[in-house]
Amino acid sequence: MGFSLTVNGDRLSCAADPATPLVDILREEMHLTGAKPVCREGFCGACMVLVDGEPTPSCLVPAALADGREIHTVEGLAPHGALNRIQTALEASDAVQCGMCFPGMVVSLTHLLTARPDASRDDIRAALTGNICRCTGYERIVEATLLALATR
Amino acid sequence: MMSGSPIQDSAVVTHDAPASIYVARSLAGALDALGEYGTAGAPFAGGTWIMRSPIRHQPLKTHYVAIGRLPELTAVRISSDAIEIGATITHAALAAALAGLPEFAGLAAAAGHSANPAIRAMATIGGNLATSEFAAADCVPALLCLDADVEISDRRGREHLSLTDFLKIRSTLAPGRLVTRIILPRTERKTAHVRLPLRRAGDYPVAIVSLSVSLDATSRVQAARIAVGSVEATARRWPRLEAALLGRPLDATAVARTATELTDEFVGRDSVDAPAWYRVSVLPGLVRRAAIAALGS
Repeated sequence: MGFSLTVNGDRLSCAADPATPLVDILREEMHLTGAKPVCREGFCGACMVLVDGEPTPSCLVPAALADGREIHTVEGLAPHGALNRIQTALEASDAVQCGMCFPGMVVSLTHLLTARPDASRDDIRAALTGNICRCTGYERIVEATLLALATR
Repeated sequence: MMSGSPIQDSAVVTHDAPASIYVARSLAGALDALGEYGTAGAPFAGGTWIMRSPIRHQPLKTHYVAIGRLPELTAVRISSDAIEIGATITHAALAAALAGLPEFAGLAAAAGHSANPAIRAMATIGGNLATSEFAAADCVPALLCLDADVEISDRRGREHLSLTDFLKIRSTLAPGRLVTRIILPRTERKTAHVRLPLRRAGDYPVAIVSLSVSLDATSRVQAARIAVGSVEATARRWPRLEAALLGRPLDATAVARTATELTDEFVGRDSVDAPAWYRVSVLPGLVRRAAIAALGS
């Protein structure tokens, strides 16, 4: 049995077993390696993607329930070769880090900028509760997000 | 645009992969499927527990019935005398539905501060109640304080039982039976839910105290329900502490002092995140914070 996923705007078929975590399909079948399988428990946020527009840990979504859904990975948040608003602000603020947690951070913050254009510093911190950074570089990320929010 | 492309011949291999996940389109269809699968099947709601089975070295079931998108199970009905909560409403949706209902501030806090935002948008209240191995479930003690009833359905019909009774049987619930609703009576009361995670947010709580009190015209406690979660394997009420509150003003310092005298009623559970003694020792402090929060609600 196969599944049909729309990933970054492209309709793709998938032959994985029904309980295969979405993160493994993205990485191993579709070669989209931005989402990282780290804790596989929904705690760390390194595998965060947008499913029907909502930040979702892709380690906890089985293939069968990704069927028919709109999925956006970190690779598809901006047109090819361009950066979206939060990506631009993170680069300008020198907040980009090692790359393990960062794609998930970008996904969560991309959603925040859309869903909460009036977000405060505390709102940003709350939105990042499920994105753990072992470099502990949160402050620059929060500052960059405030910059992005101020850049309309 | 995505930068990769699908490779049809390299399906991802998973260990213990189930034979099927049936996405139910109606509650009747879900109950039929669960009945057919029997012991080989189980419901799949938010998936935040089941998808972590490999980490716990637990095999997956052969069949799952996905129930997370059933309109019958995601509604919250609010009437003047009761609230009926569909079992697959997510924590985030439940917290939003309870906003503006002060007597449910405790449950709203439990649903609105558990885990992290993405998990709250997936994990369901029915899953929180039915997962007997999950000691740190936030909604269980919060619902114990609200005199909750649980509706269980199968192909033959449905029945109601108290949450306290449900917690006793949940690990042996017969195949084919499904938690479908939680029913809460409405009454004037003050409620609170406090938790102690190792980090400020995003972690399992070491201990949880939920509290519900009704005060008389002189601000003395007429009725009290206090429940403790995450300290033992299953959340439960604290009857002696509840009794000690009756007839007195709700005084946070006094109730914390009484709690200190009664903590030997609990035998904490040891785990990698916190030792048993620590879970018990923080209870008086959490009781004090719960009383303060309830008075402010």
